Amino acid sequence: MKKFLTVFLVLAMALALLAGCGSTGDGGGGGEDSDVIRIGVFEPLTGANAAGGEIEVRGIELAHEYLGDLLGKKVELVKVDNKSDAVEAATAASRLVENEKVDIVLGSWGSTLSIAGGDAFKNSQTVAIAASATNPNVTLGNDYYYRICFLDPFQGTVLANYAYKTMGATKVGIIYETSNDYAVGLRNFFKNSYEELGGEIVAEAMYQTNDQDFNSQLMTVMAEKPDVIFAPGNYTEAALIMKQARALGYDDIKFLGGDTWETPPLIEVGGEAVEGCVITTFFDPDAPLNDMTTTFVELYREKYNEDPAAFTALGFDVYLTAYKAIEAAGSTDSEAIREALKTLEVEGCTGSIRFDENGDAIKDTAILKTVQDGKFTFLDTVKID
Amino acid sequence: MSKESKSPYLPATTQKHKGLSRTLSIVVLAAFAVFLYMANSGKILGSYELRIIRLCGVYAIAALSMNLVNGFTGQFSLGQAGFMAIGAYVTSLFIIPTAQKTAMYYVEPIAPWVESLQAPFIVALIIGGLVAALAAFLIGFPVLRLRGDYLAIATLGFSEIIRIFITNMIPITNGSLGLKNIPDTANVWWTTIAVAIVVIFMLRLMKTSYGRSFKAIRDDDVAAEAMGISLFRHKMLSFVIGGFLAGISGGLLASVVGAITPIYFRFTLAYEILLIVVLGGQGSITGSVVGACILTVAREWLRFMDNGFSIGPLTVPPIAGMRMLVFSILLMIIILFYRRGLFGSNEFSWAGLLRVIKSIPQGIKRLFTRKAKAEGGGS
Repeated sequence: MKKFLTVFLVLAMALALLAGCGSTGDGGGGGEDSDVIRIGVFEPLTGANAAGGEIEVRGIELAHEYLGDLLGKKVELVKVDNKSDAVEAATAASRLVENEKVDIVLGSWGSTLSIAGGDAFKNSQTVAIAASATNPNVTLGNDYYYRICFLDPFQGTVLANYAYKTMGATKVGIIYETSNDYAVGLRNFFKNSYEELGGEIVAEAMYQTNDQDFNSQLMTVMAEKPDVIFAPGNYTEAALIMKQARALGYDDIKFLGGDTWETPPLIEVGGEAVEGCVITTFFDPDAPLNDMTTTFVELYREKYNEDPAAFTALGFDVYLTAYKAIEAAGSTDSEAIREALKTLEVEGCTGSIRFDENGDAIKDTAILKTVQDGKFTFLDTVKID
Repeated sequence: MSKESKSPYLPATTQKHKGLSRTLSIVVLAAFAVFLYMANSGKILGSYELRIIRLCGVYAIAALSMNLVNGFTGQFSLGQAGFMAIGAYVTSLFIIPTAQKTAMYYVEPIAPWVESLQAPFIVALIIGGLVAALAAFLIGFPVLRLRGDYLAIATLGFSEIIRIFITNMIPITNGSLGLKNIPDTANVWWTTIAVAIVVIFMLRLMKTSYGRSFKAIRDDDVAAEAMGISLFRHKMLSFVIGGFLAGISGGLLASVVGAITPIYFRFTLAYEILLIVVLGGQGSITGSVVGACILTVAREWLRFMDNGFSIGPLTVPPIAGMRMLVFSILLMIIILFYRRGLFGSNEFSWAGLLRVIKSIPQGIKRLFTRKAKAEGGGS
């Protein structure tokens, strides 16, 4: 038993080491200074969500460099890693507001982590703005949490409208990831608005994160002969679902998904099978919504020599929003910032941003993309009233 | 802290110092209580430091629960994460205000009987522990027939089953969306007093015939059975008490963190607790408490490393995750030098502390004389 234990521990530590090798970034140390505005960056820099955290931080850094001083003071980014873990996130959030004494917080990637940090921000009355946390619970009942991305209900409505009106689908099958809060929420909102439009959800099947075999789910759903399959969830599982659907001989069935699909691995894993799937997203470098999009894309291409991801754009916008809010408030006082956010309208690279009384962004534009010839290509811009 | 010195087998020197150690323990504990009182009123520490102290308490109870089953009864169980999940969910459902519960369940409406659940924190905590104990009792029937690695795998499996149940019972648990707005009732007093009660309970338990039977089973189950100890009954008792304690620690965790999701209670949580148990010493009650504190504090304290630091002329650039790397290396060093954990199966004692301090210079000397072997230490 002892040997087993030793091996166990060594493995666990090796894993911890691996998880430790995250991304790089330049955080600011330094002492406290009233001539400095401190902006907290609350993101998963290590652990399961490190990739998501990193691409968002890139956008924040880019905006930080681009916008420069604020109210005649230097702006300092204080990065704190929440390790993709809810308990760690609560502690990290507490550290940001208590020890680092930041004026405003940006982040986090992943709604679960944002929710865990939310209490610390609320108790210390520090304004926090999330870039990509789409779960309604993030801002619900928390007057200090704001967000600049669209919510799952909006995304669900866009997809339901697209399926019913543009694709002309009257029967939809759903395969979703039950262990993923994002997927569960999206499936719910899609279902509600699709049924309201007059469509019918003919079959539903579920799977767990990290599942590999989706044959039984596909066969259950396909037995009801849906026109389209909606499959909210992670990109790896989604790619496998599409691949296995083709292998089962369902060559014509179309797939719909949310913004999480827009990652290179979807195409790498799925190959030809993912051709033609439709996803919603908030940003496309080739479909500029305004001047800010153009500026952002140029800045990003110059620095990284590649096209920016949608989350990087949101990272850019979240910094921009915080910057404009402090500018409009004229101080770093939380109440003044909250007052300013009530009326603020920011032209970000993901469209114009305003906040409702919940602290959620009022957005009316979503972008639809599809996979064509092994690339995500712009399909359509959708406006919902 | 320790009352092990009651034993007649201890050397005479220890007996002589008994009075002194007791006074020392009382002074230190009293100082700690005063410190906590000051800290809780916000005089010395901010809520960040208090949160870390509270987390130490939560992990200490979880580690004690695992130590009871693994260290004292010798049954290698990894089911603690599942029992903690049960405790956390049950406690949360009793203490979240009804209005907030209704708003949170937007995917599927909340089951009416869950919505109306309300209880004071202490009652909620105990109910959470009892439900976890009940789960341990039911799971115990099939799995406690297994031994060693097989038991570890089976308990790990059951812990995952519990998590998947929680994920899919959406009208009750809100599924993967998790619960939030859990009242922050568990302040440092709650967690510290809970740890104290559990520690005293464990110390007492180990002196009873049950405690001795647990140890007998750990040391040799065939001999224990031959002596007339009912293996199944005692294993079950240990497993159920372990489940209860894990449930309590889960309930406290939920209140400290304020938001829980099933994902947090993955099997990795069980490894983390196992790490504390092994670090502190299997079969050492004070070891688990100290191990929990070291692990929780070190992880936070090492945070400065993420922002870049310099040791003399060597400057390390800011690298995210640097602290986890250093943390892992530190753990490996500890395990290499203290194979049986910091305390082995002994309890904390002042004489022991003195011995350790005295032996440090010798240890360093030995390190240099036995170069060939010491190289594995990686300094």
